[in-house]
Amino acid sequence: MDSSDEALDIIVTNVVATFRTRCHLNLRTIALEGTNVIYKPEVGKVLMKLRKPKITASIWSSGKIICTGATSEDEAKLGARRLARCLQKLGFKVRFSAFRVVNVLAVCSMPFGVHLIDFTKNNRPIASYEPELHPAATYRIKHLKATIQVFSTGSITVTGPNVQNVATAVEQVYPLLFECQKPLCK
Amino acid sequence: MKSCKNCGSSEIDVDASRGNAVCMSCGSVLEDNIIVSEVEFVETGGGGSLAVGQFVSAEGGAKLPSFGDSHFTGVGKESRAQTLQRAKQHINTLGHQLQMSQHCLDTAFNFYKMALTKHLTRGRRSAHVIAACIYLVCRTEGTPHMLLDLSDLLQVNVFVLGKTFLVLARELCINAPAIDPCLYIPRFAQLLEFGEKNHEVSMTAMRLVQRMKRDWMHTGRRPAGLCGAALLVAARLHDFRRTIKEIISIVKVCEATLRKRLVEFEDTPTSQLTIEEFMKVDLDQECDPPCFTAGLKKIKAQQLEMELRKKIDEVSDEIQEYQDEIDAELENSRPKLRGIYAAYTRDVPNSDMLSSSSKSADGEELEDNDELQAVAKHFGRDLEELTLEALIKLEQKRPEEEEEEEEDVPRRKGPSLESILGPMPSSATLGLRESINTCTEKENDGAADSGELDLSGIDDSEIELYLLNDKEVKIKTALWMAENSDYLKEQKEKEAKIAKEKELGIYKERKPRGPSRRRPPIRASTADEAIEKMLEQKKISSKINYDVLKDLDVKPGSSPARKVESPKKEPTAAKLTRRNRMPARTPLSLSTPLSSLGKRLKPFISGQPNKKQAVEQASNPLPVAVGAPGGESVVVESGPVMYDDGAAEEEDEDEEEVCVSAMELMGGNDYGFDGDDDGF
Repeated sequence: MDSSDEALDIIVTNVVATFRTRCHLNLRTIALEGTNVIYKPEVGKVLMKLRKPKITASIWSSGKIICTGATSEDEAKLGARRLARCLQKLGFKVRFSAFRVVNVLAVCSMPFGVHLIDFTKNNRPIASYEPELHPAATYRIKHLKATIQVFSTGSITVTGPNVQNVATAVEQVYPLLFECQKPLCK
Repeated sequence: MKSCKNCGSSEIDVDASRGNAVCMSCGSVLEDNIIVSEVEFVETGGGGSLAVGQFVSAEGGAKLPSFGDSHFTGVGKESRAQTLQRAKQHINTLGHQLQMSQHCLDTAFNFYKMALTKHLTRGRRSAHVIAACIYLVCRTEGTPHMLLDLSDLLQVNVFVLGKTFLVLARELCINAPAIDPCLYIPRFAQLLEFGEKNHEVSMTAMRLVQRMKRDWMHTGRRPAGLCGAALLVAARLHDFRRTIKEIISIVKVCEATLRKRLVEFEDTPTSQLTIEEFMKVDLDQECDPPCFTAGLKKIKAQQLEMELRKKIDEVSDEIQEYQDEIDAELENSRPKLRGIYAAYTRDVPNSDMLSSSSKSADGEELEDNDELQAVAKHFGRDLEELTLEALIKLEQKRPEEEEEEEEDVPRRKGPSLESILGPMPSSATLGLRESINTCTEKENDGAADSGELDLSGIDDSEIELYLLNDKEVKIKTALWMAENSDYLKEQKEKEAKIAKEKELGIYKERKPRGPSRRRPPIRASTADEAIEKMLEQKKISSKINYDVLKDLDVKPGSSPARKVESPKKEPTAAKLTRRNRMPARTPLSLSTPLSSLGKRLKPFISGQPNKKQAVEQASNPLPVAVGAPGGESVVVESGPVMYDDGAAEEEDEDEEEVCVSAMELMGGNDYGFDGDDDGF
């Protein structure tokens, strides 16, 4: 899929997913009867951390749950189901519905450095670079809904709604980065 | 403009010298600042001559002289003008604090106007938007102003300002060129007071910055930090003693950053040059960005660690062997232990192993109790190893080999397995089940939307681990209650408060972030009841004497009552388009206090006599209104509602003397809401 000879390693580091349990949850019960839970009554949510797929879930009393920390979409789903099972055991009539992966974060490293100022100049409105605020240049692809942050060392972080989009985004941005590359003398 | 809007007369006097147009019958000023094309001169005292007329500012929104009742004309164009004027004022204030030229400030104002037309000011603090406009100008003009300066002045977080700035730049399609650190050098050099050598130092600093750019130190860094480092070095080069603290206070970076930049520069080959060489020669070699080299170093360090770890493992294995041999020999001297050991052993091969070892080992007499305990302890450890080994044997299914193998081999397996299994004793069994489950687990989606939980791949017993048992629950409950006692107290107090309020009937459900809602329509069987209930709800105004109002309600029976009914139904049922503009959400009702109604309606305050007039006029449209509540257009509404308000205010203000009402003056019937916009 890559245009160059070596394949670029796109490592997915975080997957965020949400689902609903379709029933009201009593946060105090969960907080008192679960292990690895943090209860935040001021905000109104419970943080529950699972070990097996390493996942942190924010549980609201309305029944909406957000799972973060998974490293793949399948893992996120597995973790979410585990969580739902856990809540079921606590006694709530949990139904697993509306599971949706919301955000995927991946990192990738280019074998060359990138000249950020040239890169921003070439891609004017889509890319923006503000060194006073953030060391990376931000490139937003609207139709993919993906955001790419490019650092001068050549490593990039990509966020998008699913893994496929992220891969496509990397492919799209690669030739642009290749133009403004700065060969790193290793 | 041929007829007066207020009285309808056509006698209008236009005075060119004052630029006024005045109605001769009612006296209201219809126009001010009339623009004429002829120029007239008048004589001033002392023989000089003045041009007749007034100066009108080129920009709209100049303060209109208040002629009579102009203060409620804040609608439509005027409000836009006011906004612009206010913005201009703020921009100028801010700009002068930054010592920006007027030209820049004008450009900033233009940006603001553009932003206004694109509705970018909505939902943002005006201070932020103004700061963003100014910064935009700074960037396009290339002035040495930093976003940090602006945030210092406004005491706002830099990133918040930056966000607004980025949004503005994107929406207005303005390409702000990237910041060049060289821009900041003259500014900082000025502040550092280099005296005559200012120029030289600046030039040196600029060369340094350019060199830094080539060495890839400047991408992704705050330009101010680079400037600071460059200036420090340049100052030292020219024998100026500027401490780091002085530079920090001017450049607005912290000490750590400055030191880091200096260190990074030190790493580049340029730093090895002497001063003269540096001024003349430019090295061709370019460096990697410092974070990249740091990353490489990290990777190397990690690799080294891995190798070291492997070596340590091997060494520790050897040590373990020797240790175990020694222990085995020690153990031989204790026949008692063997007996105990026999009781502990589970597998025959184990005892065989040890008996063989005991045969092979030399017997040594142990005398001290400490040594015995130590051995026993080691035995305990050994037992663990052996049980683990037993497990492994079960899984690996190699019992025979175990027997045959030497003492060393299984022991060697012990430590390495222990290192794996030690920290996670339970996952061994679970790991197996996991792999089995993943094999059997095929279906993933499908059942998701139906709401049923697909249990494949979920190990129940593992989930049980996540739940505490009863005893633990009790302990945790106690702990949690103790921790959060404050919060619980607050909650109780809140509830008590709400309960009290409910009893008193004043309970208002307050959502912390909900939009303010219209009050639900009061359900009452008679108009009197309705008025009473409404009065109970809304006792806000201090200008209304409610007691008198109550008396009034009783008096002329039908008329206020009927008036009340219709506005009650209509404001809530139908949409008040024009009315909504006024006092944002309060429905026009009998008890809307005067202040909230806004200045527009104040002049409609009048005394008693007009009530009759209003009643008569109201009674006509009333039957129509009552007959078709809510279904009719605005026209029907405007009549009764408006009149009733006038009547309401009349009743409120009954202390006032009887005077001719504004409505009468204006001629009640042709009473359009639009006409009021100009404020008569």
